Amino acid sequence: MSIRALSSHPRDHVATIVVAALSSAFGVVMLEASGIIATAVGTDEVVSGSTTVRLVLSVVTSVFTLIAVYVGAIVTANTFATIIAGRTRQIALLRLIGAQAGRLRRAVATEGLLVGVMGAIVGLVIGAAIAAAAIASGTSAGWLPSADYVVMEPLILLPVAVVAVTTWASAWVGSRAVTTVTPLAAVGAAVDARLESARRGVARNIAAITLAGAGFALLALGVVIGLSTPIGLLVSFFGGVLSFTGIVLGAHLVMPPVLRLVGRAFGPRPAARLAAENAVRFPERSSRATIGLVIGVTLVTMFAVAMASYRAMILSSIDDPTMARAVDQSLTVTTAIFAGLVGFSAIIAAVGMINNLSLSVLQRTRELGLLRALGFTSRQVRGMILTESAQMTVAAVLLGLVLGVFYGWAAAQSILGSLTHGIIAPALPWPIIAIVVIGGAALSLAASVAPSRRATTVSPVVALTVQ
Amino acid sequence: MRRPKVIPEMYPTPSCSPIRRGDPLRSVDDMQITTTDLGLVARVTHLSKQFGEGPGAVRALDDISIGIRRGEFTAIMGPSGSGKSTMMHVMAGLDSPTSGEVWIGDTEISRMRDAELTLIRRRRVGFVFQSFNLVPTLDVRGNILLPFELDGRRPTADESVWIEHLTQSLGLTSRITHRPHELSGGQQQRVAIARALATRPDLVFADEPTGSLDSRTGREVLALLATAARDYDQSIAMVTHDPIAASHADRILFLADGRIVDDRGATAAEDISRIMLGMEAAA
Ligand SMILES: Nc1ncnc2c1ncn2[C@@H]1O[C@H](COP(=O)(O)OP(=O)(O)O)[C@@H](O)[C@H]1O
Ligand SMILES: [Mg+2]
Repeated sequence: MSIRALSSHPRDHVATIVVAALSSAFGVVMLEASGIIATAVGTDEVVSGSTTVRLVLSVVTSVFTLIAVYVGAIVTANTFATIIAGRTRQIALLRLIGAQAGRLRRAVATEGLLVGVMGAIVGLVIGAAIAAAAIASGTSAGWLPSADYVVMEPLILLPVAVVAVTTWASAWVGSRAVTTVTPLAAVGAAVDARLESARRGVARNIAAITLAGAGFALLALGVVIGLSTPIGLLVSFFGGVLSFTGIVLGAHLVMPPVLRLVGRAFGPRPAARLAAENAVRFPERSSRATIGLVIGVTLVTMFAVAMASYRAMILSSIDDPTMARAVDQSLTVTTAIFAGLVGFSAIIAAVGMINNLSLSVLQRTRELGLLRALGFTSRQVRGMILTESAQMTVAAVLLGLVLGVFYGWAAAQSILGSLTHGIIAPALPWPIIAIVVIGGAALSLAASVAPSRRATTVSPVVALTVQ
Repeated sequence: MRRPKVIPEMYPTPSCSPIRRGDPLRSVDDMQITTTDLGLVARVTHLSKQFGEGPGAVRALDDISIGIRRGEFTAIMGPSGSGKSTMMHVMAGLDSPTSGEVWIGDTEISRMRDAELTLIRRRRVGFVFQSFNLVPTLDVRGNILLPFELDGRRPTADESVWIEHLTQSLGLTSRITHRPHELSGGQQQRVAIARALATRPDLVFADEPTGSLDSRTGREVLALLATAARDYDQSIAMVTHDPIAASHADRILFLADGRIVDDRGATAAEDISRIMLGMEAAA
């Protein structure tokens, strides 16, 4: 019945499928890799106690997979919120003719489960294929000892299931707005009074501020405790998780000022000014588009800064230059691997941002048509979309870098403070920061290609024709 | 001044011409004369517009030749589907004709490329649409100043005084920092009118500007448009299918099946209704 009428455009879900596939493929590859390493090590008689190896590997696997799934969940929830924002009128119409909000929301969540399962299975196939290819090429090239590697371990179904369920849950969370659409939105309202501007959850703001406040207090405590014992890291860890959750929850409070600041730096041209207004005008929309990237960049930077600080401290305490070089090398490799593993979440976040920008351009067809009618050239429209994308990327990368350096420093300080007996300066891993910045620039270009092309093909006549 | 390449046979022959004697267009048959000399702000000659190809093609405009007079409030009337909106879109440079010529002032725009057309729209015409007239991200002031903004300039001192006057006389002063969604439909239309008048364009096009307003608010908006034409000498072309709306105009062009079938001066709503009913019956 009416639920069918809510059926979506297939392209609405492309990003969710990609994100689910990426997360699930990542989880599968991580599991396969740890299985392969454990099996390979098991054949080596010198390395004993392969159960310890297995344990370490499974901890590393779970941590990084969970990070990817977490970022993917946030991206997916935001994708669904964007889709819902674009379907407001349709939902209002269904409500008007008697559809229950709860049913509509469940229908949306079910869509989420469907695309989640699809994406997760695609990821399983890709992940298993990568593992099989690695085993084949590794054993034939000789960098893997020949052994009985198992590609189709039952365990690899675990990340697949986790991703499918998480996508379902994210769709549910992201579709909360369905219940706030009133049937009245279907009638009248010559201007899209989007629900973003109407909905400012006070409870959510309080929760965000409380979490952030408590988290930062814990973090400070952890740093102080860290001055006498490395156990400070535990306190800091919880402080970090709490405060960061607060920031993510309150993204609609944090992002607009950052976006405004960045927007100002883009100068007073009309395209730039309108882009800045767009980014700031709908704080929900712009924070939805950017928060995934903020999380990704923060995590990468945090790991890199913590590792770099750790490395600086270790190296300064080693007198033997040969030994120092060996330690340096192994720490650099470890940092690179970890940063790469965390960086995968940043890629998932990037998919989310690209998608969010495209969707929001689609949803703004009439506005773009109006601008074209009033005298915006297609070049100006393209410039506006590119600027919007650049502003959002710059804001997200900047905030992510600042947060990442801070959290990385806090972690290093908490664990190393008792050794150095004082406040250490954060070590800045410039190569990784450079990669993040360059990646961000590439992203803002990539994110704006498709939407800006679409935006310039908007015909003012079609856009302004009253349906 | 650039002379248009007007040639006699481009004007409609009397047999198919709905334009009556005494009309400026008819009295200049053999002269090389410009739009401006005719007292017109815009005109079209042998304008046709076809949508699609082959058997499914729709001829929305069929060989129309007409001029819009300077300083007048012209209504373009006709039943739904008669081609009113299409005619406005082509005249305003929003869409291109299939054949024929379109002039805004002494500029021929029918063969212009998109970038040039955009500049014409920005600088020489104003728009009031039925709905979704305003950029939701900008407040009232931002929307009124948008044409200047798009042009990358600030209003001159003279223009600022004019905009101030417009805002005041349209009763928008207290709303100046409001966003579109905080305004009623009538207020939104008034902002759109202020924006359309702000640059003092050659011609303001309004497509069913009262189409989504209640009748009282609609009358207010119409009175504002009529006042703008009378007091500020602003040329306005308004598309409508509402006889009451058309009764505010100085001149009414009637369209049916993509052709101009009647052209008269100010007419009372009842008479307009009668003409329209006659047209529907004939169809
Ligand atoms: N973009 C288009 N594509 C195909 N046909 C169109 C298009 N726009 C208008 N038409 C057709 O042209 C005719 C005139 O339409 P329109 O100018 O919108 O009429 P009016 O504004 O008088 O109601 C109608 O038959 C309409 O279906
Ligand atoms: Mg129309």
